[in-house]
Amino acid sequence: MVAIWDLVAQQAAGRQARVSVQDVCAAAVAAIQVSGAGVLAVSRAGAVHVIWATDQVSKQLADIELTVGEGPRADASAFGGPVLASDLGHDDIVGRWPAFAPAAQAAGAAAIFAFPLQIGAIRVGVLEMYRRLPSPLSTLALGDALLFADTATLLLLEGRQAGGLDDDGLARDLDGDGLDGDALDGDGRDGAGQGGTGNPAGGAGRGPAGQPMELGRRRAEIDQATGMLTEQLGTGIAEAFVRLRAYAYAQDRQLGDVARDIVTRRLRLDAGDGPGTGTGPAGVDGPGAGGPSIGTGPAGADGPGHRNLAGRRHRRPGT
Amino acid sequence: MDGRLLSETFVELADTMVAGFDVIEFMHVLTDRSVDLLGASAAGLLLADPRGELRVVAASSEQVRLLELFQIQHDQGPCLDCFRRGEPVSATDLTAAAGRWPRFAPAARQAGFAAVQALPMRLRTQIIGALNLFRVAAGPFGEAETRVGQALADVATISLLHERSLRRSETLNEQLQVALNSRVTIEQAKGKLAERAGIDMDQAFEILRSYARARNRRLSELAMAFVTGSEDLPALSAGQSPLPGPGQPPRPPR
Repeated sequence: MVAIWDLVAQQAAGRQARVSVQDVCAAAVAAIQVSGAGVLAVSRAGAVHVIWATDQVSKQLADIELTVGEGPRADASAFGGPVLASDLGHDDIVGRWPAFAPAAQAAGAAAIFAFPLQIGAIRVGVLEMYRRLPSPLSTLALGDALLFADTATLLLLEGRQAGGLDDDGLARDLDGDGLDGDALDGDGRDGAGQGGTGNPAGGAGRGPAGQPMELGRRRAEIDQATGMLTEQLGTGIAEAFVRLRAYAYAQDRQLGDVARDIVTRRLRLDAGDGPGTGTGPAGVDGPGAGGPSIGTGPAGADGPGHRNLAGRRHRRPGT
Repeated sequence: MDGRLLSETFVELADTMVAGFDVIEFMHVLTDRSVDLLGASAAGLLLADPRGELRVVAASSEQVRLLELFQIQHDQGPCLDCFRRGEPVSATDLTAAAGRWPRFAPAARQAGFAAVQALPMRLRTQIIGALNLFRVAAGPFGEAETRVGQALADVATISLLHERSLRRSETLNEQLQVALNSRVTIEQAKGKLAERAGIDMDQAFEILRSYARARNRRLSELAMAFVTGSEDLPALSAGQSPLPGPGQPPRPPR
């Protein structure tokens, strides 16, 4: 995940901007060898916004899906897992999307891979990629794509793309009802969807943004603690997760260690507290509004231009 | 081995694997039945995430879940060896396995286990996970038990593919991610219920599980509805058994 973040941060550094899903798309296109990528945010009510698309075909694919009312994005959202269609001409795929598959092929796509941007019950959108020629994702590429999707999830959750929406003509919402923050909200109810409008935990440029985290270690505890925080804070699950990360970041502690303290009931966060404050042994105030900003990607700004993707995996079993 | 229990188990598993069944719940049943059937003391099931990690999806006890996590964290143990080699791995006496697994063997012994076996979950050439069986008594794993254990591991693999086309090789990876994300949703629901009712995670899981069973609901769908608040679930909202778990402080007043 660290190397994936570096690749994303390099993209942001290259255009001298804050890291956004735009950089995730660009890095994914380069690393996974797909022809294009796009991020769509999905509201609970089903409203879909194209947050970013790397090229016209990617944008067209989203348009087609919305027009015909079927396709990989809707399936990935409903299904809660990736939709991998390495050959849009395959009988199974045409049978599944009788309207979308031929139209997508006519637009120039031969393979489509859609990854839900999700953490359990938190659902914020879909990362979609296409290839001009049919071919499956290798297991390594699939792993990378999932990690890019994780990064995009974190960026959407925390940054809310406050400044990134108007950077380019491609980033337009397709149903014309405005890019309101609620459309990005994982559960449609909590306040985490107010992208960049003053929510201190979710304000773009503060907090850990999409930076890598050790979800693997103490994974269950992180998920359990997130669930507990919905009760302690009286928020939805998406904001509970954002607040958990903000607290860990403010305390300069590992997410998993904070989660363990919450699960073992040594630490509580309360609704009245800002992000980064809590009641527990640490007892240190958070940064309030003073969190460091995510600049142009310090991790990747001066890194080597080329990276051996395979070399970063320490623990891939079986290879 | 009890032949009657064996056939009953496979009938139960087949009955469970009908339309609308929940894969995580199924894998929990499978680890429980592995214990009953194979003379094991505990069982755990790990799946490989293409992100590059193994993840615990089901365990017959919290103790085993921790031992499985121990293997993952220390990158050492029978389940990892089994997964990497794609073949069964066993240690009939963990007191003699310290050379092989210097960290895992003592940890497993300390947890009270003397023997361990890991069986691969395979689909064609892909190894997708492993079933781990722990026993408190040292001694070899019988040939018949090993065959049945492997059959149970194979059933776990097949359960990931239910109702989906086997013609597309991508199906397995799609389903695997759904299962892993369901596990996350269930953990979130456990946390929410544990906090609401002032109970521990195991109690919360049992309540969610029995609630889903009693109403013929899929566990992961129920967990999703509970976490997002998309449905009124009065019994869960009240917290069915507000008994504090051992060693926990009483819930502070709201």
